Amino acid sequence: MKRTIWFAIAIVFFGLIVAIFIWLYAFRKADLSASSQRAETEIAATDLLKKFESNESEANTAYLGKVIIVSGTIDKITEDSTIVSVYIKNPEDVSGVICGFNKTMIDKSTIKLGNSIRVKGICTGYLMDVVLNKCSMEK
Amino acid sequence: MKTKFLFLPLFLITQVAFAQKHIAKTGYIWFYSYTPMEVIEAHNHQVVSILDISTGDIIFNLLVKSFEFKVALMQEHFNENYIESTKFPKSTFKGKITNLDKIDFKKDGTYPADVTGDLTIHGVTKSITTSGTIEIAGGAITAKAKFKIVPKDYGIQIPQLVENKIAKEMDITVDIPYAAN
Repeated sequence: MKRTIWFAIAIVFFGLIVAIFIWLYAFRKADLSASSQRAETEIAATDLLKKFESNESEANTAYLGKVIIVSGTIDKITEDSTIVSVYIKNPEDVSGVICGFNKTMIDKSTIKLGNSIRVKGICTGYLMDVVLNKCSMEK
Repeated sequence: MKTKFLFLPLFLITQVAFAQKHIAKTGYIWFYSYTPMEVIEAHNHQVVSILDISTGDIIFNLLVKSFEFKVALMQEHFNENYIESTKFPKSTFKGKITNLDKIDFKKDGTYPADVTGDLTIHGVTKSITTSGTIEIAGGAITAKAKFKIVPKDYGIQIPQLVENKIAKEMDITVDIPYAAN
């Protein structure tokens, strides 16, 4: 009798731990980058910029909040305490695409000005440039 | 040839006028909501700002979807249920530094700055006045401010279910380093 009670307590306890882990995983999950998500489309930075410049609301419908891959050359790299911003810009264009990387998601020694890169990220819209965040490097 | 020379002073004037404008493309704004039940913060590192030091005009522009939360699900709820970022993708502030005469942009130091202007969040525009600082260090300008906003003022509905998890007033912190021209 005593054994079954202990057995029941053990099962409930075990279940509780599993539940906490599931809860942590599903609801409290942090996500530093969109690297694990599938990109909906791939586009050159200059083409993406042109789409936003010519018709912003149409481009918003097409790209806002979507995971996309953008390619182009690195024009500038800046950083603050937590984010590295890599600026992809075609030399002929006035503006470009700003890609925000969480510092833990990028190895700065591997990126150099003028390099061609492919970046996966979530498109958050267009201000002076198109903005991508939660970025990760693509091979 | 003559016309070229005629345009030269005009060209120089526009150059000078342009140098008065300082631009930031990766400015930082974050908000903080505290209740005993839940602490929420979200960070936006892609704020665009233009500061005209000759007139004191200051503009902030940000993409609402650029706010990053620690918890992914919170970010989803924020975007879809509260701030409706697909409908209102941008938030802006257009204002003026009202005590411009007290700020010497040529001399290093931290100057208090009074700012007043129109803040648009969730499609609702309200006039706000706050004070911040302008820091000058080696010619580089950084604008900083801290103020509170009430989400309800901007038509942001918080369901009763989560009412005690979301603060009635949010702390907004602004930290914009302008690119040195």
